[in-house]
Amino acid sequence: MTTLQEHGSALEPSRSDGEPPSAKRRPRKSAHTYLVGGVLVLVCWAMVSPVLWTAMAVTKPTDVAFLNPPVFTYEPTMTAFVDLWQTTLFADYLVNTLVVAVLSTIAALVIGLPAAYALSRFPSWVSAVLLVLALVFRALPRFAVVLPMYDLSRALGVYDTTFAVAAALVAINQPFSIWLLRNFFAEIPKELDEAAMLDGCSRLATLRRVMIPLMGPGILTAGIFVFLFAFQEYLTANILTDVSARTVPVFIATQLGQTLPMLQQAGAAAMLLTLPVVAFAFIAQRYLVAGLNSGSVKG
Amino acid sequence: MRRREFLGLIAPSVLVMGGLLVLPLYRTVEWSLQRVNYGEAGTFVGLDNYSAALSDPRLGRAVLFTVGLTAVVVATLIVGGYLLAVMVNGLGRSKPFVLGFLLISYVVPNIVGATMFSWLFDANFGGVVNHLVSTLTGHEVLWFIDPWPNRLVIALDTIWFMLPFSMLVIIAGLQGVPAEVIEASRIDGASTFRTHWSVIIPSIRGVLGFVAIISIMDVLRTFDQLVPLSPQATQIGNESIMLYIYNVAFQDGGQQLGLGSAINVLLILLIVILLYPFIRGIAKEARQA
Repeated sequence: MTTLQEHGSALEPSRSDGEPPSAKRRPRKSAHTYLVGGVLVLVCWAMVSPVLWTAMAVTKPTDVAFLNPPVFTYEPTMTAFVDLWQTTLFADYLVNTLVVAVLSTIAALVIGLPAAYALSRFPSWVSAVLLVLALVFRALPRFAVVLPMYDLSRALGVYDTTFAVAAALVAINQPFSIWLLRNFFAEIPKELDEAAMLDGCSRLATLRRVMIPLMGPGILTAGIFVFLFAFQEYLTANILTDVSARTVPVFIATQLGQTLPMLQQAGAAAMLLTLPVVAFAFIAQRYLVAGLNSGSVKG
Repeated sequence: MRRREFLGLIAPSVLVMGGLLVLPLYRTVEWSLQRVNYGEAGTFVGLDNYSAALSDPRLGRAVLFTVGLTAVVVATLIVGGYLLAVMVNGLGRSKPFVLGFLLISYVVPNIVGATMFSWLFDANFGGVVNHLVSTLTGHEVLWFIDPWPNRLVIALDTIWFMLPFSMLVIIAGLQGVPAEVIEASRIDGASTFRTHWSVIIPSIRGVLGFVAIISIMDVLRTFDQLVPLSPQATQIGNESIMLYIYNVAFQDGGQQLGLGSAINVLLILLIVILLYPFIRGIAKEARQA
């Protein structure tokens, strides 16, 4: 899998953007430059338009929110957000979503870091088998594991708890976490381990005192992705929860076939879920890019 | 690293994956050979579920729909992702800003993105695209009831949220192409198109293959976006394989859990076959690392 190594710069996301535009690299502003710029503006606009349209729909007064033909001028109002907060259990669902995301991120890293370290340092058929299995598991149809989990969670009495959803997501995202972290570990020279161990560190101490501090960007990247997956998850949460552990994506889906005011509230919920991740796309961009590029097995 | 250390370090991860992935998977294989319901012991029925699955025309339609969607979406992702990557890669200071906008559809949960997407088209909710199309063409397109317009909406939504991934990985690939090679082809008098076609694309073949295989795996598992985008998926033949499994093995109380499990197993086999070239590469790499 050559792509895993070709872009080994994952620890150092490229920062060449700040270079002063030299005369050689950027000749004059030609028609071509403007054309590319224009196309990109259009593409960006198209990519953002569903979010913009929803933002408009939820700030319209309810009676014109879903009129056809649509209205473009209106008095903005926050009623949908207030209603969402007051008439639904949105706050609970939001807490559930965050609890699941935080729990599963911490657990995934605590479990995944040692495993990824070991896989990057111990070349053998066992590593090969584990990595291949991880890739296959990553590609599994979710229902093949989630339906038995549903059965199991009922039998164990943990159905409809945030714990069950978090545990399921730790397992489901473990192959991805291991792959990503292993690729980051593989970029740290083995000589460093050897030096630390010569100085009297045990294997665990080496991992804790030498490797993990060096892995900062890698851990952050993996953490961001696992958090994002948990935050986005619909299918697993839909199967494993009912009312008390319901997450925001599941809540939004259950609102779909309902009345218009409820739909507008679902739109408000969607906006509340979208705004933080949009901010995130700008702030944590270099980590997202690094994670996607380090040959991650993610789509 | 000693063997004992290795085993100790991977043990927690292996235990979690063993308990929560391998065991459930085993259960699915077991269920696929039984007539069974949740919380009950099943009765062994041999390969009945498999023959029922393979002779079910509804599964045939689901496979056709899913494979067709995969082909269209993945082809668009590769071509569109490449064009977009070339344009974005040539940007200067504005690059992080443009990337931020382009990443939005990737970080928004699929189900939420698809809900937003559906509102662009739904006449009941004053969709702006729908309004535009009906004003321009004079036709009222039934985006959620007619099979083909609905397929178009589903494909557009899937492309919408997967394009950022494709673009980003291809950008990384482009940055790995040595500038001298491109320079050389320019000096030799190659046109821009020629440079891309004969120099750049061949040298990022691996990256394009990677994007293709990941996208294929993901589109084959299409599920989330159909919930808001195709409420009548079953009636109009826009049911994906995953949605079909969900409908027969969970939605209606799980009466056909055995059948659903059998389809799960068949889908896993298909995915493993598709992944085979990658599996060989990884096995080789991991042994040598």
